[in-house]
Amino acid sequence: MKILIWAERKKLRRSKIVLTAVFATVMVAVIVFAQGQFVFNGSRYVDSAGWFMTTAQSLATFYVLPAVIALVGSYMICREEQEDTQKSLHMIPIDETRLTTAKMIVLLAFSVLIYLLLFVITFLCEVVLHFEALTAAMIFTFFKVYLLDGIGVFLAVAPIVALVAWIKKSYWLALVFAEIYSFTGLFVSMSSMLKTFYPITAAFNLSGYYEASTTQIIGSVISLILCGCLAVAILAGLKRRTH
Amino acid sequence: MLKLIQTEFLKLRRKKFVWLMLSVALFMPVFALFYFKTSGGAGIDPIEFYKWTAFSYTPWIILPVVLGILCTMLIYDENQYDMLKQLWIVPVGKMEYFFSKFTIVLFYSVCFMLITAAASVLAGVIPGYIAFSWESVGYLLVKCLEISVLTALAVMPILAVAAAQKGYILPVCTTLVYTFLGFILLMVNMYLHPLSSMTAIVMRDIPGVVLTKTLNIPAAIGCICVWDVASVVLANVTLKKRK
Repeated sequence: MKILIWAERKKLRRSKIVLTAVFATVMVAVIVFAQGQFVFNGSRYVDSAGWFMTTAQSLATFYVLPAVIALVGSYMICREEQEDTQKSLHMIPIDETRLTTAKMIVLLAFSVLIYLLLFVITFLCEVVLHFEALTAAMIFTFFKVYLLDGIGVFLAVAPIVALVAWIKKSYWLALVFAEIYSFTGLFVSMSSMLKTFYPITAAFNLSGYYEASTTQIIGSVISLILCGCLAVAILAGLKRRTH
Repeated sequence: MLKLIQTEFLKLRRKKFVWLMLSVALFMPVFALFYFKTSGGAGIDPIEFYKWTAFSYTPWIILPVVLGILCTMLIYDENQYDMLKQLWIVPVGKMEYFFSKFTIVLFYSVCFMLITAAASVLAGVIPGYIAFSWESVGYLLVKCLEISVLTALAVMPILAVAAAQKGYILPVCTTLVYTFLGFILLMVNMYLHPLSSMTAIVMRDIPGVVLTKTLNIPAAIGCICVWDVASVVLANVTLKKRK
């Protein structure tokens, strides 16, 4: 498995997709910063300490990052078929389920890193804007929010990526579905019951962005674990099919 | 040119996913069905109802993302199978090629919004949330056609980016960032981005919409024109460079 993960990491490094995802993340930060220039009650949003870090992760999660993560995941899976390397991998032979699992592990790391990149960008802006208002506790809380968002969003989109591994050549489907799926979170968050179990908002409950009771957090964790289990079940089905 | 457009339509028939993607048009009407059920009900002003189903998130987020993905698919599928060389040999003019693709995007956008309009009427009238009136349905249809044409024009930069690239990753990520930027700039400056300018034009005569600043329709039209001219130039330059 270690070798497979190493190989996937090497393949990703050669691809432009990482740079493109980084570009998307940086742009999200820039766009949210532009929104922060909006004046409300005599002051700009961005003038309030912590606003940028809070808003960037929530808007990124509702509009951009789940789709980008699903895109990277589906790209990693579909490229073997597209670039005709699948046959060579079967010749070695490499077990397709183990390969897909390695890809999913790399995707988890990617998801966490992309959220941490957003954290670093927003944190540096906050340091420049409100150095004196920042406390260690506040920074640690935000770090935890971003880290758990990365893990939670990965679990939320994992079934979509696993489904791509099953259908193949359907990265468009993954993208459209992931975008609608994350965007639906905006509406789901209106209901406290639904937002506990809907995977995208469950990630917010888990990370601490939403104020939630222990029961709600447990419900959210169960929902995200179920997403992970669903992805594993789809991958197990893939194994049976290839055998 | 007409033959080229006819060929594009014939090619579209083979792409099942393109037709499947039209189902996304039902998202907001279906969501409104549940939303108005929980908020209690009948006797809603039709325009208020249509604001939810067709005039808000559909033109702000859903339609631009769907059209952006369509633009990428239309161009990428030909790149993938190396069809462009054959098209240049025929010969097909570079700009004819670009505008034939744009015609498909425009046609698709109109179909998408007409489905949204039909679904909005059905989602409102069948459960009895709104009373059926030809006047409101006529208004909805006119607005939906307006949105569809303007959004197709507003996503022309994505088509140009897709035409300038061989891959699909950058155009797709650009679609996400571009849509997000348009949505956020609605609150900051409506005349910088074609999607926010499109919203400014659409919102000009919707009853009950309160805007903080007075609308400048010529500036909004100017913004869309400038971006579209730049897109055509970019597409022309990049397609001519391609052998």
